[in-house]
Order: sequence, then C-alpha cells, then structure tokens
Amino acid sequence: MSTNPASYPAWNNPLSRRQALRHAGFGFGYLALAGLLGEQNRTACAAPPRSTPPNPLAPKAPHFPTKAKRIIFLFMEGAMSQLDTFEYKAKLQSDDQKVGPGGGTLVASKFKFAQHGQTGTWVSELYPHMAKQVDKLCFLRGLHTDTPAHPQAIVQLHTGAAQATLTRPSLGAWLMYGLGTENQDLPGYVTINPPANFGGAVNYGSAFMPAQFQGTRVADSGYLPNIKPQIPEKLQRRQLDLIQAMNRDLAKDPAAPAALDGVIQSYELAFRMQDKVPKLLDISSEPQTVLDEYGVKPGPAGSFARQCLMARRLSEAGVRFVEICHPGWDQHNNLHKELIRNSAATDQPTAALLHDLERRGLLDETLVLFGSEFGRLPTAQGPDGRDHNITGYPMWLAGAGVKPGFSYGATDEYGLHAVEGKMHTTDLHATLLALLGLDHESLTYPYAGREFRLTDVAGNVVREIFA
Amino acid sequence: MSKMLPTLMSGSQFLSLVTAIALGGTFASLNIQKQANAAEREPDSSQRGADLEFFEKKIRPLLVDNCYTCHSADTNSKGGLRVDDRNGLVTGGRGGPAVVPGKPEESLLIRAVGYGDKKLQMPPKKQLTEEQVADLTLWIRNGAAWPEVEFPADLGASSAEFAELRKSHWSWQPLREPSLPAVKNTTWPRDDLDRFVLAELEKKSLQPVGDAAAEALIRRVTFDLTGLPPTPEKIAEFASDGSAQAYEKLLDRLLASPQFGERWGRHWLDVARYAESTGPSRNIPYPHAWRYRNYVIDAFQQDMPYDQFIREQIAGDLLPADSQERRDELLIATGFLALGGKDVNQRFKVRFTMDNIDEQIDTVTRSILALTASCARCHDHKYDPIPAVDYYALAGIFHSTDLCAGVRNLMGGGGLDYYDTSLLLRIGGDAKPSADHVAQVEKANAELAQARSELVALRDDPANKKAKGPAGEKNLKAARKKIDTIQEELVRLTDPAATGRAALGVREAATVGDTQLRVRGEAEKLGPSVPRGFLSAVAFLEQPQVNAAQSGRLELAQWLTHPQNPLTPRVMVNRVWQHLLGRGIVQSVDNFGVMGDSPSHPELLDHLATRFIRDGWSIKRLIRTIALSRTYRLSAESVVAQSAVDPANRYLWRHLPRRLAAEEIRDAMLATAGNLSSARPEGSPAANLKVIELRDTAPDAKRMLQAARDDVHRSIYLPLLRGLTPPALEVFDFAEQSLVTGSRDETTVPTQALYLLNDAFVHQQSRLLAERVLAEDRDAGSDAVNRLYRLTLGRDATAPEIARSQRFVADYESASRSEPLSIAAVKKPLPHVDKSSETTVAATTSTITAKPVVDQNPDNVSRSVEVNAEPTVEPLDPRTAAWTAFCQALFSSAEFRYLK
Repeated sequence: MSTNPASYPAWNNPLSRRQALRHAGFGFGYLALAGLLGEQNRTACAAPPRSTPPNPLAPKAPHFPTKAKRIIFLFMEGAMSQLDTFEYKAKLQSDDQKVGPGGGTLVASKFKFAQHGQTGTWVSELYPHMAKQVDKLCFLRGLHTDTPAHPQAIVQLHTGAAQATLTRPSLGAWLMYGLGTENQDLPGYVTINPPANFGGAVNYGSAFMPAQFQGTRVADSGYLPNIKPQIPEKLQRRQLDLIQAMNRDLAKDPAAPAALDGVIQSYELAFRMQDKVPKLLDISSEPQTVLDEYGVKPGPAGSFARQCLMARRLSEAGVRFVEICHPGWDQHNNLHKELIRNSAATDQPTAALLHDLERRGLLDETLVLFGSEFGRLPTAQGPDGRDHNITGYPMWLAGAGVKPGFSYGATDEYGLHAVEGKMHTTDLHATLLALLGLDHESLTYPYAGREFRLTDVAGNVVREIFA
Repeated sequence: MSKMLPTLMSGSQFLSLVTAIALGGTFASLNIQKQANAAEREPDSSQRGADLEFFEKKIRPLLVDNCYTCHSADTNSKGGLRVDDRNGLVTGGRGGPAVVPGKPEESLLIRAVGYGDKKLQMPPKKQLTEEQVADLTLWIRNGAAWPEVEFPADLGASSAEFAELRKSHWSWQPLREPSLPAVKNTTWPRDDLDRFVLAELEKKSLQPVGDAAAEALIRRVTFDLTGLPPTPEKIAEFASDGSAQAYEKLLDRLLASPQFGERWGRHWLDVARYAESTGPSRNIPYPHAWRYRNYVIDAFQQDMPYDQFIREQIAGDLLPADSQERRDELLIATGFLALGGKDVNQRFKVRFTMDNIDEQIDTVTRSILALTASCARCHDHKYDPIPAVDYYALAGIFHSTDLCAGVRNLMGGGGLDYYDTSLLLRIGGDAKPSADHVAQVEKANAELAQARSELVALRDDPANKKAKGPAGEKNLKAARKKIDTIQEELVRLTDPAATGRAALGVREAATVGDTQLRVRGEAEKLGPSVPRGFLSAVAFLEQPQVNAAQSGRLELAQWLTHPQNPLTPRVMVNRVWQHLLGRGIVQSVDNFGVMGDSPSHPELLDHLATRFIRDGWSIKRLIRTIALSRTYRLSAESVVAQSAVDPANRYLWRHLPRRLAAEEIRDAMLATAGNLSSARPEGSPAANLKVIELRDTAPDAKRMLQAARDDVHRSIYLPLLRGLTPPALEVFDFAEQSLVTGSRDETTVPTQALYLLNDAFVHQQSRLLAERVLAEDRDAGSDAVNRLYRLTLGRDATAPEIARSQRFVADYESASRSEPLSIAAVKKPLPHVDKSSETTVAATTSTITAKPVVDQNPDNVSRSVEVNAEPTVEPLDPRTAAWTAFCQALFSSAEFRYLK
C-alpha cells in the first residue's frame, strides 16, 4: 500500500486526509466539476482564485470497460423458499417425508414444477410470468453465506460484513464512490421501501465514507423528504435568486470558504431536483398499458409492482443503483399460503420489468439482480414451514454483462449444500463489482488506519457468467 | 500456571522485555501454557490419540448426521446450542452445559439422547441407537476429546520490525518539553505557542495575515466555544470595548457559560460513539444512555481534569466516592464502555462477548490513544507494533468486566426477550429487596419457564400441528402472548428503572482473570492464555501492574492517564486544536499510528501536551490558551501567493473558514428566532422507550423523529437512536453514531439546500424570526433589515444589501398577493418556549404503551403503506410571508453557515 501523505494533491480547502486519499485513488473529479460549473463567470470576482473541491459524485471511469452502467436489485427480504420457486430437485420431490441428510424430515414442494424456454429451465407454477423470461436469466445456484439469521445476513449482503460493531459502507455506497453518478440532477443511489429493521439504514448507508455516497430512501408512494416546495415556484425562484446573490457577494470576500462554489451549485441542483424527482417518481404518468403490464394496483398488494415501475424509471434516468424490496418471505410456517401471496405480488412485476427494460434497449446496459439473504431448507419445520439455509441457495442475474439462459453452480440432490460453483457473499460482491467495471481489490477506502474493501480480504470474481 | 511463568507479567511489560532478553523465552512460555491446557484434560498422549481417533470415527459423524441441521455454526443454533465445537457443547445453550467432560450423568446431551425425559428428546423423532448413545457416553466419560485448535508456532513472538517501530515512530516516544524556537518577528507572538507557529512560517517564507476584525472574531469564538451565535448586543459591546482585556473578558464569559459544556461535551460524545440504542442487527433502545450524556456535559462544564475524566469513564466503579451522588456519577461515567453498537441477535454468547470486547477495545484505544488496537484481534497489527497478544492482554481486562447495557444476546427473539434487567446498574443506592419481592420474582421466573415450555410443547404437539394455518397460529400466538405478559411482570419486578433509577455502565465480573488468545480472532478458537496488561507500544518505567484480584480496569485507567503515557495528552490537545483551528496538528485525529498523518508542528504538539499536564489537564485552560493566541485570532483572509504555496493552510498563515456543525445550524436558527430553550430537558425522549426492537417504521420510531422535529432544546438533547438520526442533524454531516468520530465530514450536497428551502422547521424558525423583528419594528424599514443581518450574520448590512433586501421584500409581497398560495408556515404551531417561565412546552413524551410483539413472525410485516407525514402548512398574510421568505434566505445563505 502506498500511502505517503506527501504525495497527495493539496487543495485549497481543509480536506481531510480521507478525502484527499479518496480522490488520489482515482484522480478524476476536477475536470467533471469544471464542466459542471462552466456557466459561471468568476473573473469579475476580486477575490483570489480558489481551486474548487472536486465533486465526489462526478461520473468516474470504471477500472475496466464494461457493459453494465447501472444495477437494479430486487431484494426478497426474509429468505424466499428457493425449493418452491426456482430450484427444482427431483430427489426432494421423490423423497418426501424421508429423513434428510443431517436430520430433519424432507418435504417436497407442494407446487408443480415444469421446464420452460429454450433452456428448459425448471420454474414452479408460482412464477408463470417469469417462466416466460427464463431464457434471459443467469442463475447463481451455489451461493452460501455465514449467518443463518436475517439481521446479520441482510447486513452482510448489503455491506459485506455482518459485524455489528463496525458498520461498513453499503454496496451502493461503494458504487457511488467508485463510479459517481450519471445524472447530477438525481440521487445516484435510491432504495425503495428498504428493510425497517435488520440493520435498517446501515443497509444503504455510507458508514465511514461521506454522506454523499449513501442511498436515498424513497417510499413506494414516491415520498422523499423536503422535495416538495412549500411555496409557489415563482416565489421560490425569487428567494433563491436572493440567496444566490448573497452567496456571490460572499465569493468576493477573500475569507470566503473553499466550498462556496459547491454551495452555489447545490442550490441550482436542488431547484432542478425538486422539479424532476417528483415527476420521475410519479408513475401515474405512465400509459395504462404499461401500468397493466406491471400489474400496478393500489394498496400493499401492488407495492412491488409500483416499485418495479419506479425502478425502471429511475434506472432509465441514470440512477446508478436502485434497490427495491419485497419483505415477508420468512416462512417458518404458513409456507403454502404465503408463497402464493408473495409470488403473486412479485411474479408479474418482475417479468414486466425485464421485458420493459429489454424493449427500451436498457437491458444491455442494466444489470438486474434478484434474490434473498439466504435460502430455506429442504426439510420441514412445523406443519407448514421451512427453516433457514445458508449453505446453498440461488439468486439470479439478468441483463448487461451476464450470459442469458445460463446457470452457474449447483446444490446437492436435495438443495441443502452448495456443491458446485460455490459462491460466498464476498464472491457475489466481487462479481457484481466486476460486472460494473470495478476491481474489488483496487476499490479501497482508508479508515481507522487501514484500507477497507467491500470484500475485505476475500472474494473471487466468477468470470464464467460473463457474457 | 503462575508456577510455569515465574514472573507473571502484564502484556506490555511482558513484551517490552521480549526483544531485550528472551524472544525464545516468551514463545516458550506460551507453549508451556498450551501444553498445560491440554494437560488438564489428558495426561497420556497415546491415550489422547486413541480418544481423538474414537471421536473422529464415532462421535463427529454421529453429530454431523443427527444434530448439525439444528445445532451448528453453519446452519442453526436451536436453543443457543452448537455441537460443532467443543466449547459450544461445554458452554451449552439456554438449558445449560450440554457436555460436562468426564461426567456423562451430568451432561444434558446424554439426557436428551436417552429419551427418558419427555420434554427433552433429541434428535426429535429419530432416537439414536443404543450403541450410539453408549459411544457418546463413553466419549464424555473419557473427557470429551476434541482435536486441539491449531495455532501458528510463532504466536506471541515479537518481531524485529515491531521493536524498531516502537523505537522510531514519533507518537509513542516520550513527551519532551521543547525549548521555544527563535523567531525573527519577535513582536508577533502573543503566547509561547505562537512562536512555534511563526518559526515554521518563517522557515517556509510565509507571512501570517492580519488579525481578524472584531465582528468576525466574536462570531468565531462564540460559536467555537458555545456552539451559538453572539447576540447583536454582545457584538456591539465587544466592538466598542477598546480595552486590552475586552477579548479576555469575552473568553472568560464564554468559558463560564452553561453553553460551553453543551458544545464541548458534544465533541466528546462524537468520539464516544454516543447513541441511545444498540443499532443493527436488532435496534434495541438504551433508555438510560442520556445520563452519560449529561455526565459528559457536566464534566466539560465543570472543567473536570481530563485525566480524571478518563479514569472515571474506564473505572469509575472502582474509584472511591464520598457520597451516594458521587458514587452514582462514577457509575454513570462507565457508560462510556457500554454504549457501543451491539449485535443482540448474535446466536452465540461467546461471540457476543468477544464482539463487544472488541468494540470496547476499539473505542478506548482510538478515542484516548488514537491507536487502532482492534486491528490486532485476528493477527498482529499490520502497521503498528501491536501484537495480537497485546490485544488479548486488554481483552482479559474487559473479559473480567460485566458489560451492563441492559441487553442480552438471543437469535430471533421478540418482545422483551432482549431485555436483561440484571445487566443494568442501579444508582441512588441499593434497595435491599424484601423477602416478599424475592418470592414474587421467583414465582414470575417459574411462570415464565412454564410458559416457555408450554409454547415449545404446543409447537411440537401433533394435535396443534394438525390445526394447520390460522387455528394453529392462533394457539401459538396465545402462548406467545402469555410469555409476553409474564415478561412484562418480571420486568416490572426486576427493572432497576421501575423501582428506582438505572444507568448503563460496567461492573467487575463475578470471576476475573486472564483470557485466551483467539486464533484468527474466532471466539471459539482458544489459544494460550495471555496475562492481562496494556499495549507494549506505549511502555514506560512506572507503569501500573494489573491487580490479579480485580479486572484490571483501574490499572488500565491509571496507565492511560499516567504522566509518562505520551499519547493521551497528545491526542487530546490535538483534538482541541482541531476544533479551534480547523485541522489537527496531526490531521488524522483518531489515528496516531504508522498509517496516520505526521504532525505538521511536532514541537508545538509537545509544547501543548506538556503544558496541558502542567495545567492540571484542564481543558478550559487549554482552550483559553489557544483562543488567546495570535494564531487563533488571525483573519480568515486568503492571499493568492501563499495559497499557492500552502493551499491547505498546514502552516497556519491564516484562520481557516469553518462550516457550522449540524447542531450549530439548528441551534442558531432557534436562537436567532428567539425560540431556543436554554434549559436542560429532563432525560431524553428515548428514556420512555420500552426495551423492545425499534423498527424504522414503527410508531415509536416516528414518535422519536417527531419529538426531534418539535424539540426546541439544544441539539445535543435530541433523541439519538442509531439509524434514526434526526434529519436536521443528518443532513449536515452529523457523526456516524456507531463509530468513533473525531472529525466529521463536511459535505456540500443538494439535500442540504432542499432542507433549508423546504423543511417545515426552517420555515417555522424563519417565520418566528420575521414576527420577532416585525414586532420590534412595525415600520419594517431599513432598520429591520439591518437588525436581521445582525441577528443572523453578526454584522451590519451594507447600503446595497439593504436596498436589495427591501426590494426583495416589496416584490415578494406584491407577487404573493397575486399568487393563489402564499408562503406557508406550519399549520400546527410548533411548540416554542414560554419565555415568561422559561419552561418548555416542547417534546413532551407520552408514556408509552407499546404493544408487546405477539406476532409469531413480526419480521414478515408489510411496510408498503408508509405514512411520512410532514407538517402541513397554512398561508400567511403577504407581508409576513415576504419577511419570512427573507429570513429564510438569510438562514439559507452560505454566510450564515460559515465562520470567518
């Protein structure tokens, strides 16, 4: 690690070493911001020229060229039962009620599976719409993680580490840090209806990175705090003009803070955001055919459909990372009934999202990830439930950079342990970063005396799935 | 063991000798201990070999095949038990030790597999064969052999590299009082510290800029010392007082004001990662954390010597007290060690314990020493000479300490399951429980055990299983509800807070002693035992020795604050310097290790540190010294030529402009609007929360955010639950509440602009300010504009500014007459201070009647209908609207939020 402080560029502002390092690692930001601020004529100022602090969210070149520019993560919070949905195990179906390896009573899925698409991929009857999209999917079937408890596994899936005593930046924050945002009028990282517990804000936080990198939390109603002006736009523009006139006056003061240009810029941005963001989050402007395609309806049952449609709109507008969430997959009991309910809420919207992205030509540059923090056991729990399984479970990817109609890794004949193509959560993270053009070993951030990585000291990129 | 280690040494002493005398010796003594551990179990190595073979052949496969699905680290841990680890079996789960080596008859495991006890039959529905049971019994009788944890042969050996670093790296070298450097411009320095600054400037051919103007200076120093703006009256008074003592008088007034403790106490709370809940993974409130907050504020306010402040936080419970009140204070002080984030959902007690110890070591070493000792948990520190044995020397101290945060670990609990009233400190004296009370507690405990077994029985009852779906669910819910009710009763009986007052903190553990090194940091992988002690990187001659009969915290506190410990004073003066000058002499304020920054003025740092000790570790005197210096009083003016040479102002040729912290922005708005309550509120809104999981979307969470929104006290008193930072603070880079934060970020983002433009709180304060000034000056002429400039920006408006402002107000007023909607203010008036009595009508917290969680799986709740009600707004008359908009523009201006 080369971190000789003397080699850092020194800017005319009280940059912390952390900030300095952050930029030294990439060396861009200056030019992008110069472009952003190009319209400002500062020659009239009597004050000495100040160098401008770089905008940490300016778009940055990836470490290597890549197809995926954006990612949408459909998070099935609570651990979806893979054995009743996307993971068909003939042996499990035939060994119903027998004793399983490691104890417990095996229980076959009550739902019918069939092969679909040219790839002949098995999908259960719970996902009829997705069954038509299987040839787009790239399954990771050998995933495993460390802790069979939701809070730790969810935090680990989102931040790379489950250790509660040292909060780490979320995957999205790492992407913001590594890639910046494409659309400066929008937050680059949006999370819709994130988990209300299990780490809560940690799952989209920036931890020891600056707050710019954290996710913006949005409700599926489109609510975002402080985005709505409290006064008519014309009047607010007058007010803003006064604020900016005062700020420009201050710029003439030799004692003006270095961040002043950023402040001025942030007001113009904010003014544009309050115009654009609510429109973007307002799905009612979509044609009825599209609303129907996604299955948008009011109330909780339509939540995920609304989120899928919002995700497409945000992604299309250049939001780097959108995460949407369907909770309630933790079927220790009532497995049968709740699977029907949950799949009904997620099947059509997910399929519509893939189809819509493809239709708009966005699937070529957008990566879609679908899955849970872990899976469920092939054995029974109580009369109608399955317990947690962290030793082998699937997720799937689709879109930019991955092989369509592909499957990587496998679990044993009952779907209990991953036996082939095993991927730990860190391997998943390393692979996702690589798909977005980032080398997980180079993407480091200094904190508390050492360089941190999303993947800590592990992580293998699974190139076999790359298109 | 002490026989084998003839000179039982503390970790640091132990290692400081290593390079000098006996590298091999240390290594050997650790090995001896390892063998000693093995010897306890098995004297004969050939017999042990046979036992291990028996284990691998018969026992391990049996456990894997029959138990792992429910009881292993990789799968589950029903009842808190794991069988894939010897310690897991010996420690056992909730039912107690599963294996007692040598005593199968006392081992729960044998009882369970024997199927004799109807309530404890394992594996369920699949009884083991007689032969398998016999194997298990034999294995336990022969000592429950399990392969030793392997650890590297060079464990504990010191390296030449570390020895070199101990000698060479600047930060842990002894403090020396540097002689004052010679300077050319002898008239410039006001204080000795200025000479160190000037000497460097002269060396670099940089010229200090002129002194700050009176208005800029009073605004700067008032915010720096109290976090609040100076009133226009105080500004005028200072500007007109030409006496040489005017500034000194001002300083002394600010240092004595109660607002000083609230400002500087908050700096320490950042470092102490203060918060009122556990954070992830299940966010459990700490209803008594606020007592520690108040303790910190008072300590700074009363100028408690910093060494004493540290000693009280590390070992207050072990220090003498001459009154109950003092005893309480000392207990509350140890809250420092208890307030960290905790993973209460951790399945395994040993991991929970070791993670919390790690959190304590990390916080103590980073906050007080600016060292990252927790890097040595899994292996020797990669950069600093902190070997893993040093880490476990410290760990032994905390392992001998009960962490009393009121929470226990449990996987997948609900309701009050995580609340442990025995892990709280009672303050106000011990109430001796009556025999009647003891009987009640016993009864409730018995009932709880009964209710729990009923729930388990019901869950496994085939009849109930047949009642699939809602009916079965309903029975289970009722059983769960019964548990909740008894738990509530038990809490009512045992909660110190219910019968008196409680605090978070630490106490000595029932058994104290050294702990073992954990191989690769894994809690279960026990290596050799490490004598308790301190960091060898900071070794000095007179360092205290751990008292074998106690935890060692007292000696740790003494070691941290020993005058020969160079880091503690260096780190603190650097923190103070940073808060006053904008950047530390060492910029990485929380890391003085090899990877940290080197000091820009090493001699100045030592000058300040030695002076600090000489001045009785007085923070106020340190602040006074620095604030009186010429360096501090420089103007913020930038000069092109110098900014080209030293753009970051490393050499202090000017004063760096500073953005106000989140609290200052909020407090300054309240203060200028005349709406700030200077009183200290009773407790915290979080004090009434039940100790049950707090979800982001729960009514209680909303109530906390609402309490924060409505509150008119200083920001330090807002509820600070992890993950629920009040938006007014979060938007301006508040400290990350789970991490030691010696230096906050300073970002500039559009969400800040959106907050100032659109947030109801900002509107409300703007309106109150407008009304305040309009009430004083009905004509609302140029004087009103000027008055508002003085109130918000601390200066007079210029003639063009007055003209522009009046034009704005007039235009806005006439434009808003023609607009359908006028400027809005909060419909429900926000609570504000009743000035007549100076009591607040704000932030009243109703008694909580949170429903106990009865849902079988509360984590499966839909959150799609999320109500995010922001206060609704009502139109104002155009005149008030225009002045409100003007006041808001002042609050939103960059000048308001930056200090020159």
